[in-house]
Parts: sequence; C-alpha cells; structure tokens
Amino acid sequence: MIIVKELYKQFEENQVLRGVNYHIHPGEKIVVIGPSGSGKSTFLRCLNLLETPTGGEIWFDGQKINDPKVNIDEVRRHMGMVFQHFNLFNNLTIMNNITLAPVKLKLMTEEEAKENALKLLRRVGLEEKADAYPSSLSGGQKQRIAIVRSLAMNPKVMLFDEPTSALDPEMVGEVLEVMKELADSGMTMVVVTHEMGFAREVGTKVLFMDEGNIMEENTPAEFFSHPKSPRLQEFLSKVL
Amino acid sequence: MEQSELIRKITAAFLTGDRWMLYLKGLGITMQVAVMAAVLGVIIGTVAAFMKISVRKNGKKTILAHIANIYIDIIRGTPSVLQVMIMYFAILASSKNGVLIAGLSFGINSGAYVAEIIRAGILAVDKGQTEAGRSLGLSNFQTMCSIVIPQAFKNVLPPLVNEFIVLLKETAIVGYVGLSDLTRVANQIASKTYDFFTPMIGAAVIYFVIIKILTKLLDRLERRMRRSDNR
Ligand SMILES: Nc1ncnc2c1ncn2[C@@H]1O[C@H](COP(=O)(O)OP(=O)(O)OP(=O)(O)O)[C@@H](O)[C@H]1O
Ligand SMILES: [Mg+2]
Repeated sequence: MIIVKELYKQFEENQVLRGVNYHIHPGEKIVVIGPSGSGKSTFLRCLNLLETPTGGEIWFDGQKINDPKVNIDEVRRHMGMVFQHFNLFNNLTIMNNITLAPVKLKLMTEEEAKENALKLLRRVGLEEKADAYPSSLSGGQKQRIAIVRSLAMNPKVMLFDEPTSALDPEMVGEVLEVMKELADSGMTMVVVTHEMGFAREVGTKVLFMDEGNIMEENTPAEFFSHPKSPRLQEFLSKVL
Repeated sequence: MEQSELIRKITAAFLTGDRWMLYLKGLGITMQVAVMAAVLGVIIGTVAAFMKISVRKNGKKTILAHIANIYIDIIRGTPSVLQVMIMYFAILASSKNGVLIAGLSFGINSGAYVAEIIRAGILAVDKGQTEAGRSLGLSNFQTMCSIVIPQAFKNVLPPLVNEFIVLLKETAIVGYVGLSDLTRVANQIASKTYDFFTPMIGAAVIYFVIIKILTKLLDRLERRMRRSDNR
C-alpha cells in the first residue's frame, strides 16, 4: 500500500533520514519507536508529504506521490493524520471540524457529512460535544475528535505521530482505546509512539528507528523478547 | 480680570464669527483623509501581506514577495510628510483635489504598516492548523480561507484599530499641502487672534476625545476576542 524507497530527508545541513526502505501492506499496524531526534516524525510526515523528501521515492496505491505532477491534495484525502498536539481547528465547532474537509472537497453533502460525523462521534462517545469549540475540551477528548475528523474522510491509512504524548496520563487510555478499536476494524495504521504496551498489543510490526534509518524490524513478540542490535537493547532497557 | 481674559480668549478662539464651525470642518477634512487612507491601507496592506508571504514550490520567495518587501522598506524608511509632499508637488501636481491626494498618499503609507500587521497575524496562527488542513486534503487556498484567515482576523483587528489611531494623528501634517484639516484650522485661527494656546488646546482636545472613543472601542473589542478565545 505504501512503499518507501531509499528515502532521504535533509534539513539544511542536517541529514535526518538516510535511505529508508520500507513496505507497508494493507491492514498492517506498523508501530515506530526510537530515541528522540531519530527521525520518526520526519519519516511519518514524508509519507503524506508534509515534509518533502530530498531523495528517494514514496509510492502510495501504485502511484509515485513525490512527483511534482501528482496532485498531492488528492492523495492526502486517503491518508489520515493525527498529530501530537491535536491541531483541531480552533475557529470551528467540533461538528464543523469534522465536516469541513468532506464538504469542501465535495465528497459529501452537508447533510451526509453531518450524519456521518454524528455516527463517528457516537462511536467515540462524544456526540454531545458536536456544537462545542475545541478549547472547551480536554486533551483526550480533543485527540479522539482529531481521530474522528480524519476518519470522516474514509482514509485508507491512518498516520499517528505520538498521539498520546501531550496527554495527561489519565487520558492516555481513552485515546489508545479508540486506536485499538480502529485497528480491530482493519484500518492500516502507522503509529509513532512511546506506548510499548500498545506496540505489543496492537502492532503487527514494530520498527526501531535510530540515526535516520530503520535499524530493526520485527513482530512485537520477537522485537521485545529478542532485540538484536545493542542500540535497541539499550533503548528498550531504558523505556521498559 | 484673569477670568474675563480667559473668557475673551475662548470667545475669540471658538465663538467669534462662528469659528467653531471651522474646527468642525477641519475635523471633517481630517476624518475624510484618515478614513480614505484607512480603507486604501487595508486593501493595499492585505495584497502586500499575501505577496510577502508567497513562496515558490521550492520554498524560495516569489518576485511578488520581493516587490512587497521593497514597497514596505521604502515607505517605512521615509517620513510621511515627505511622502505626502512628493505626491502633492511632484507625482500628482496637476490634481487640485488635496483630500484625494492626501488620502491616497496616507493610504499607500498605511498599507505598508497594515501589511506587516496582517503578515504577523497570519504567521501567528499555529502551523499545526495549516498542517491539519493540508493533511485532510484541503488545498493551500482552502486552508487559508477556512482556517488560517478567520483565526488571523482576531489577531489582526486590534492592531488595525491601533494603526487607524496612529493614522488619524499623522494626518495633522496635511496642512503642508494646503489642506485645512483640524490642526491647520487651529493654527490659522491662532494667527488671527494672536492667541496660540486656546485654539491649539481646542484642537488637541478634539483629537483626544475621538481617539479616546476609539481606544475604548478597541478595549472592548479585545476583551470580546479574549472571551471568544476560550469558548
Ligand atoms: N522543520 C524542521 N527544520 C529543521 N530541522 C528539523 C525539522 N523537523 C525536524 N528537524 C530535525 O530533524 C531531526 C529529527 O527530527 P524528528 O522530529 O523526525 O525526530 P523524532 O524521532 O520524531 O523525535 P521526537 O521523539 O523528539 O519526536 C531532529 O534533529 C530535528 O531537529
Ligand atoms: Mg517526533
């Protein structure tokens, strides 16, 4: 579904991604872990071209998307993204946060979008917040809405960049719960996280990123019980 | 004796020959120039702001951005009195419509400051808002219109009112190009009555009251915005 070939990304002098290769299949739940600054966010953001790769190729559904001729807006409709800091639209109600893109992009009528939004809100238990503004919500509620907002576009894949890192500890669970349900529903997911429990329980593959590349990749069971590289062993000993 | 002298001066400054009407007319000119300049300034400033933040696909500045930069630089780097005089005596020397020339000149002047206000207002909107919009598949333009600009509007409104206040006071120099604005009227009456103090104080009070009203409106505006921020 997503194929990454020799992906390089450089910020000025700083070489952040150094030739990453990876293949994500439909239905997989890829969990990405690694030390701070290793390029996890950059990798994820290259997948939907929020960052423009300086080298290599990103293929999505049989199309090379880091090509000037590709309409990236069209591609992004099929790739949801959830951010560490939620990034709900502050000027819009929850309902309008969810319906804005489907309606603006003429994928649904206003009524259809609203109906769909209510259905999704019910799924995360937040339908009574439809007319509220983001600033009146807790972090956990905001993140659940952010997930719903992406889902309203019926994406084929969902990208998560540390979705629970900005949350108070007591709210982490409610967001992970929504993500687990989403995983169970068959969604293809790429999740950058520090939640090792989630990686173990939900991941189909766990990747260890270090110094701009994927240093190790394995099924969660193997990954955590038999880490091969010393760097990963050291990393796991710190976080587990 | 002291008191009767004061009354005489006030009478001469404001009442003799219905002079108070001259102040009002002067104020009318001041307001015409200021409002015209403000409207023009907002239009020019908005265009210049969007020119200035425009980037090419490769992340470099566009030619439009460079043009906007030059315009802003020149305006901010020269005194507004000179700008008005250049406009009046050189560029539009054939026109007799002083109010129009002054309004135009101040509009071009104000546009540079408004451009910076609007640019700052747009840049102050969290980058995450744009990223969220773009990641949903909205175009840059759609994201700007539906998300960034409505939020920037709140950042921008208070400094815009402030800019209008500055503008209103700055127009006091249009006397240099022969306009009888509030300041000039006071000056003319002063030289007729040989009493400078009273007419000048009169004019100052009028400016002060109008600006006080604007500041009060601004205060209320800012309070409303702050409230709607934590809806
Ligand atoms: N927009 C940017 N401009 C310049 N440098 C950047 C930018 N974004 C990231 N970097 C740099 O790229 C490197 C990798 O950053 P990245 O955010 O991908 O790391 P990360 O693995 O997600 O770390 P964290 O766990 O802290 O989120 C860092 O050195 C960072 O400073
Ligand atoms: Mg990161």
